[in-house]
Parts: sequence; structure tokens; C-alpha cells
Amino acid sequence: MTKTQNIGTRLNISTNTLNKEDLPGDFALWIFIFAEMLAFGVLFVAYAFARAKDVAIFNESQLTLSLSSGVINTLVLITSSYFVVRGVSAIKHGSSKHCAYFLTGAFLLGGVFVCVKMWEFNAKFSAGITMSTNNFYMFYLSLTFFHFMHVLMGMVILGYIIIKSLRSGYSVQDYVGVETGASFWHMVDFLWIILFPLIYIIR
Amino acid sequence: MMSDIQKTENKPNYFSTAIWLVLVALTIVSFCIGETGMQGQDVMLTLLAITMIKSQLVANYFMGLYKTKLLWRGIMFSYFVIVGGLIALAYLKGIP
Repeated sequence: MTKTQNIGTRLNISTNTLNKEDLPGDFALWIFIFAEMLAFGVLFVAYAFARAKDVAIFNESQLTLSLSSGVINTLVLITSSYFVVRGVSAIKHGSSKHCAYFLTGAFLLGGVFVCVKMWEFNAKFSAGITMSTNNFYMFYLSLTFFHFMHVLMGMVILGYIIIKSLRSGYSVQDYVGVETGASFWHMVDFLWIILFPLIYIIR
Repeated sequence: MMSDIQKTENKPNYFSTAIWLVLVALTIVSFCIGETGMQGQDVMLTLLAITMIKSQLVANYFMGLYKTKLLWRGIMFSYFVIVGGLIALAYLKGIP
């Protein structure tokens, strides 16, 4: 082995080690994930401090929310995230078909989340509740709607990956796209895990 | 070769299934606390602790950050410590 080849091999080894410790999926999406988490984090903290100024109104309004639909949506998102984990595992083992099946399960559960949330929004709007009703509803509607839009975006991403998987567009050697979409979907789940107790339970 | 791949894939993923079950159990605990209508400092801190465990399980084992650099896990952990800490502070401020 020549000196140049030796350096190349060493570089390769160090690059592989670095890749192994890197974030899963495309790094560009992680910048977006961190930015989104920051935006939600600011809103979560703003909600908590706004509540501290008007505890009675917040507690009273919180009681009008459907805790059952909140917990159903939490279980739905957790389970869909689990399916995404299984989908990523499947493609890492070379099964494009199983990957597509698991991601389809996650996609359908995303659809259940959307339906439950739309039912919840409809119930509130039918009762004449809007963002200007009070500060609690302003935060409740804006935070959950902002999150709802992320679920829709995640479903679009999952849909694209499912179609590509069914066409054998991913393989054991190339599954960065699946990991990227999976990371986005897990972020949606991660944020809801904080949002659910904050808006629906803690008082 | 292909059958080996299929065999490995068909093996149940026990670890991620266990994490999923823990997440479901913790969600049900939070729901039960909410259903009883309990409130106050201890309840708030318990709910935040449950939320922290759940969020870290998702970040480390679903997102797969447990095998990445400490920096990325640190960011996710610090995120919850800062956001969760400020939420706790605001709630303590609101307790009469």
C-alpha cells in the first residue's frame, strides 16, 4: 500500500466513524428541526407565563377541552412514531416492501390525528370560540393549529417516501431519505408530547 | 443472502416495542392524573417529569440520538431542561 493510499484509508476510517456518530438523515433537515423546536419552545414558555398572569381564566377554559381526544391523539402519534422506527429498521435490513407497509401504518395514524383534531376544532368553532375569546384559546388554537400543519407536512413527506419505497427507491446502501423523513415525523411526536400535558392537563 | 436479510428483518424489534409500551404507559398515567383533576406544585412537577422521560425516550431511541455524538443528545436534553424549567417557573409564579 502506498503512502497516499494509506492516508486515504485512514481518512475513510475517520469519515465512517464520524458518519456513525452523526445525526440520522440529512443534516439540513436537522437545522430545520432545531429551528422548529426553538419556535415551539418560545410559544410553550409564552403560554406558561401568560397563564401565570391569568390563572383562573386559563384553568376554567382548559376544562372545556376534550382530554379524551388529547390522549387519543397522543397514543396515535406515539404509535405512528413506533411504526416509523420499524420502517427505518426494515429498510436498513433491505426490505423496501416492509418499510413501505410500516410507513403506511404511520401515515394512516397521522390521518386519524388529523380527523380527531379537526373534530376538536369544529367543536370549538361551533361553540363560538375563536382566538379572540381569551388568551387561553388564543394559545390553544394557535399552538395546536401550528402543530396540526406540521402533522400535515409530515404526512406529505411520509407519502413521498412510501411511494419511493414501493418503487424500490431505497436500499441498504441508500436510506438517508427514509431517515430524514423519519426524523421529521419524530419531531412532530416529540413536540406533541410536550404540548399535550401543557395545554390539556397541567393546571 | 436475501433470505438472511428477510430473516433479520422479520425478527421482532423487542427494544423499540418496549420503548413504545413505556411511552403508552406514561401517557395513560398522565391522562389518569388529568382525569382526577388534581392540581398543585407536586402534580405539575410530576407531569413535567413524565413529559421529560417521554421526550428523551423519543429523542434517544426513536430518533436514534443515543448512538450519535454527546453534543446532539445534549442539545435535546438541554432543550427540555430550559423549556421545562421555564414552564415550571411560570407555573410556580402562578400558584397563589
